[in-house]
Amino acid sequence: MTRTTRLTRRGYLAAVGGASAALAGCTGFTGSGDPSGTLTVATYPSWVEGEGPAGPWLKEEFEATYPDATVEYVTPESTVNNYIRRKSEGAPIDADLYVGLNVDQLLRVDAELDDPLFLDVQGEVKNGGNVKDGLRFDPDGRAVPYDTGYISLVFDESAVDRPATFTDLTADAWSDSLIVQNAQSSATGRAFLLWTIQQLGADGYLDYWRSLKENGITVLGSWDDAYNAYSEEEKPMVVSYSTDQVHANRYGQDMTRHQVAFLEEQGYANPEGMALFADSDNRELATAFMDFMLSPAAQGEIAVRNVQFPAIPESEAELPETFAQYAKAPTEPVTFTYEGLKGNVDGWTEDWAREIAQG
Amino acid sequence: MAGPRTGPAKSRRAERVALPLVAAATAALLVVMLYYPVGTVLVEAVTGDSGLSLAPVLDVLADPFYVGALAGVFRDPAGVPAGIATWLRAPDVPGFGLFGFTAWQALLSTVASLALGLPGAYALARFEFPGRRTVESLTAVPFVLPSIMVAVGFVAAFGANGPVNDLLRALGLPTLELVFTLEVIVLAHAFYNAPLVVRVVAAAWEGVDARAVETARSLGASPSRAFRDVVLPQLLPAVATGALLTFIFTFMSFPIVLALGGLKLATVEVWLFDRVQNLQLTEAAALAVLETVVSLALTYAYLRYEAAASRGDRVAAPLARDRLFGRLDATRVALLGYGLVVGVVFLLPIVSMLAASVTGPNGLTTRYYEFLLRQEAATSGTAPGVAVRNSLLFGIGTLAFAVPMGLVLALASVREGVAARFVGVAAMAPFAVSGVVVGLGLLEGLVFGVEVFGARLTVSGPVAIVVAHAVGAYPFVVRNVAPLLGRLDRRLVESARALGATRARALVDIEVPLVMPGIAAGAAFAFAISIGEFDSTVILAEGSGAYTMPVAVERFLTDRTLGPATAMGSVLLAVTACSFLVIDRGGGRYRE
Repeated sequence: MTRTTRLTRRGYLAAVGGASAALAGCTGFTGSGDPSGTLTVATYPSWVEGEGPAGPWLKEEFEATYPDATVEYVTPESTVNNYIRRKSEGAPIDADLYVGLNVDQLLRVDAELDDPLFLDVQGEVKNGGNVKDGLRFDPDGRAVPYDTGYISLVFDESAVDRPATFTDLTADAWSDSLIVQNAQSSATGRAFLLWTIQQLGADGYLDYWRSLKENGITVLGSWDDAYNAYSEEEKPMVVSYSTDQVHANRYGQDMTRHQVAFLEEQGYANPEGMALFADSDNRELATAFMDFMLSPAAQGEIAVRNVQFPAIPESEAELPETFAQYAKAPTEPVTFTYEGLKGNVDGWTEDWAREIAQG
Repeated sequence: MAGPRTGPAKSRRAERVALPLVAAATAALLVVMLYYPVGTVLVEAVTGDSGLSLAPVLDVLADPFYVGALAGVFRDPAGVPAGIATWLRAPDVPGFGLFGFTAWQALLSTVASLALGLPGAYALARFEFPGRRTVESLTAVPFVLPSIMVAVGFVAAFGANGPVNDLLRALGLPTLELVFTLEVIVLAHAFYNAPLVVRVVAAAWEGVDARAVETARSLGASPSRAFRDVVLPQLLPAVATGALLTFIFTFMSFPIVLALGGLKLATVEVWLFDRVQNLQLTEAAALAVLETVVSLALTYAYLRYEAAASRGDRVAAPLARDRLFGRLDATRVALLGYGLVVGVVFLLPIVSMLAASVTGPNGLTTRYYEFLLRQEAATSGTAPGVAVRNSLLFGIGTLAFAVPMGLVLALASVREGVAARFVGVAAMAPFAVSGVVVGLGLLEGLVFGVEVFGARLTVSGPVAIVVAHAVGAYPFVVRNVAPLLGRLDRRLVESARALGATRARALVDIEVPLVMPGIAAGAAFAFAISIGEFDSTVILAEGSGAYTMPVAVERFLTDRTLGPATAMGSVLLAVTACSFLVIDRGGGRYRE
C-alpha cells in the first residue's frame, strides 16, 4: 500500500515537473498547506464502473498527492438533470464537482435555471490554459473540457468500401448498411445528427435523412444496442468513436471490422467537461482536482482509460506510443458551438425523430 | 404471550384490529410510495398557466403525430362529420399515430403471448412428465431479464448469422430477416409475457373440478363438448387476465423496442422518456396520463367481464394429469412441435445470452467473469455479490409486504358495487403508470425530500426499495387472488363469522387456504417483479449501496463492451432461476 502510494506520487511529481504550468498550479494555492477534506464528484456510471475506468485511478492518484483529501463519486441515474431539478426544487446539491458535462446538458441547465448551477473557475485551474481552443464549448467558461471523442463511422472493409462523403451513404454501394443511434437518447446518435445538420444545413438535413432512410438505415436506441448489432454482423457500418481500434487492439482483434471512416475528412467532436457546483463549499479542493485532471499524466491516463482524446494537445499529454497508431483523429474536427445549438437543438432533434418514427 | 385467561380475549382484540391495520398500512404505503410521488409528476398534465386545465392533454390529443386520424376530433370537432363523409368517398386505412402503433404492437404481442402461452399452460396443467414442477418454476425467469440481455440473446439467436439462419441455410431454405422488424419485437414481448400466460392459465386449469367434467361426460357430452361447456368457462377469466397484463406491459414497452426494432418502431414510452430527459415535464405528464387511462380503461372492462363470468365452486378434485410420454397421438405430436417452438423462442435466446458472457472478440473467454471477481474484491464500484444479496433480500422483503397488501386489496375488490370495482381498477395503478414516471416521482417526491418544519425529510435506501417493489408487485397478488376469492362460497365465511370468528380469523382459516394457489402464483411473480425492477430501484439506491442485480447490469454497460454486463446478466439469470425453484418448492406445497 505504502509502496504504491510513493510510486504514484513520484509519478505525478515527475509529471508536473515537466509542465511548468502545473507547477504554477501547485504553488498557486493559498492558505496553509494543501487543500483537504472530502470532495464529492458527481459523474456518470462508466467513469467509475467497467474495465479499467478512469475514476478510481484518479481518486487514488489524487489522494496520494493530497493525503488529507478524499474523493467520493456519486452517479445519479438522471445525471445532470438530477442537479437541475434539485436546484429548481430547492433540494440540496450535495456535490462539489460535476465530471462528464456536455454541451447539450449545459444548454439544458441554462434553459431551466435562472440561478447559477455551476461557476466559472477557469482562473483557478492553471492547467486549464492548455486545453485546446476548439474544445471549449462553454462561452461562460464554467465547463472545462477534459477529453473529447470524435464521432465517425466504423465499418467492415471486407463488406463495404470506405465511404468518403455524406452523399456516399445514400448511394447503392452502401444501401442497407448503416446502423446509427437514436439522437434523442444517445450521445453518439446526437453527434451524428448534428454533424449532418452542420453539413447540409437546418433546411436540408431532413431531406438528407429521407434519402438515408430510402437507402436503408437502422436507428437503434443506444450505442450498446447499435454496436452489439454491428458486432453480430447484422450490418457492415455503425456510427461510433474514432478510437474504435484502441479497444480492438487491446484485445488483439483483427482490424478488418474496425476500420474508421471520416466522412468529408471530418469527425464530430464531442468534448466532455467538468464544472464546479455553485453550491460547493469546497472550492479550493475542487479546483485542485480539476487542475490535477488536466495534468499531462492524468490527461494521458484518462484518454487511454476512457478511450478518448485528451483535452490538451496530444504532444503534451503522456500517452503510450501505440495511442496515435490506433486512435484516429480526423483531419478536420467539427462541432456546433453553444450559440449554434441554443434554441435549435431540441427542434432539430424532434423533427428528425418524427421523420424516423413510424417510417 | 399473555396469561391463559386474558390470552384469548387479547388475541381476539388483536384479530379484530388486524385487518383494518393491514388495510390502513397498505393505504399509507400506497400514498407515500405511489400516489404522492406519481401525483407530483402527473399533476402537470392537468395544470395550465392559471390553475386546472386540460390543455396539456388536449395538445397531445390534437397532434396527428401522436394520434393520427383522431387528432381532427380534438382539433376541429365540428369538422368530424365532413371528414367522415370524405373518408367514405375514398376509404383507406387511417393511421392512428404513435398511440395507434403502440396499441397495435401491444395487441400483436398479446396475441403472440397467448399463442405461445396457452399450449404451455395445457401441457403443464394436463400432463405429467419428469421435471414438470421444475419447468413450471422456471417459467418466470424470462420475466426478470434486463432488456439488454434479451436484446443480446435475440440478435445472437435470430440474427443474420445466428443458429436459426445457419440451420435454414444448411437446409437450403431461405433465411429470415427478423432483426429490426416488428415481428422480432412481438417475439421478444412474447418471450417476456407468454410465461405469464402459462402460469396464470395453468393455475386456473389445475383448479377445474374433475367431477364437473365427469358429470358432463356421463351425461353424454363428447370430450370437446365437456371442454367447451365446463372447462373453458373456468379458463377464460384467467386467459383474459393474462391478456390484460400482457397488453398493459407491452403497451408501455420501451428499451427492448429500441434495441431490437429501432426508432422506426417507436412506442409512446420512447417519446415519454425523451420528454423526461429534456425536462419537458408537462408533455411527459400528458403522455403518461393518456397511457394510464388506456391501461385502466382496459382493466375496468376486464373487471366488468370478470364479474359477469361464471362463478363455479372451487376445486375439490382437480383433473388427473395424463402421462406426457405415452402413446404418440395427435395431441402429443402437437405438443412435441410446441416443445420445439419453446426451444427456439425461449431456450435459444437464453443460451445465446449465456454464450455471449463467455465469448470475447476472439472466441471463448472467462475474462468477463474475472472482471466480476475483480469488482467483488475492489474497494470501489459495484460489487456483484452485494447486488445478488440485495436482490434476494429485497425479493423476500417484497413478498412480506406485497402478499398482505394484495390480499387486503383483493378482499376489498371482490365485494359487490361501484366502490369495489373502483378499488379493483385502482389496484392496478402500479402496472398502469409508466416506470419512467414512477422513477421521476420517487426522485423528486422522496429522494429530494420535502421541507417539514425546517427539517428535510427524505426517503431512500433499502426499506424504501422494498416498499417500492411491493407497491409495484402487489397487483399480481390481487389479480391472481381476486378471481378465486370471488368464486368462493360466501356462506363459508358467513357461517364462520356466525360462529364467532373475527373477519381476520375467517380470512386466515378459511379463505387463505382455499385461494392458496392464487397466492402462490401471485407471490412468484411479485418476487420476479422485485428481482427485475429497475426504474425505482436505481433512483432509491443512489448513494446507499442498496443496488440490485439489474442495476449492476446497467452500471457495467459502458460505451466499450457488453461483456461485463452480459456476465452480470447471466449471474442474475442463474440466481433468479435457483430462487424460483426454492420459492416454488415452498409455495407449491399448497398447490397439490
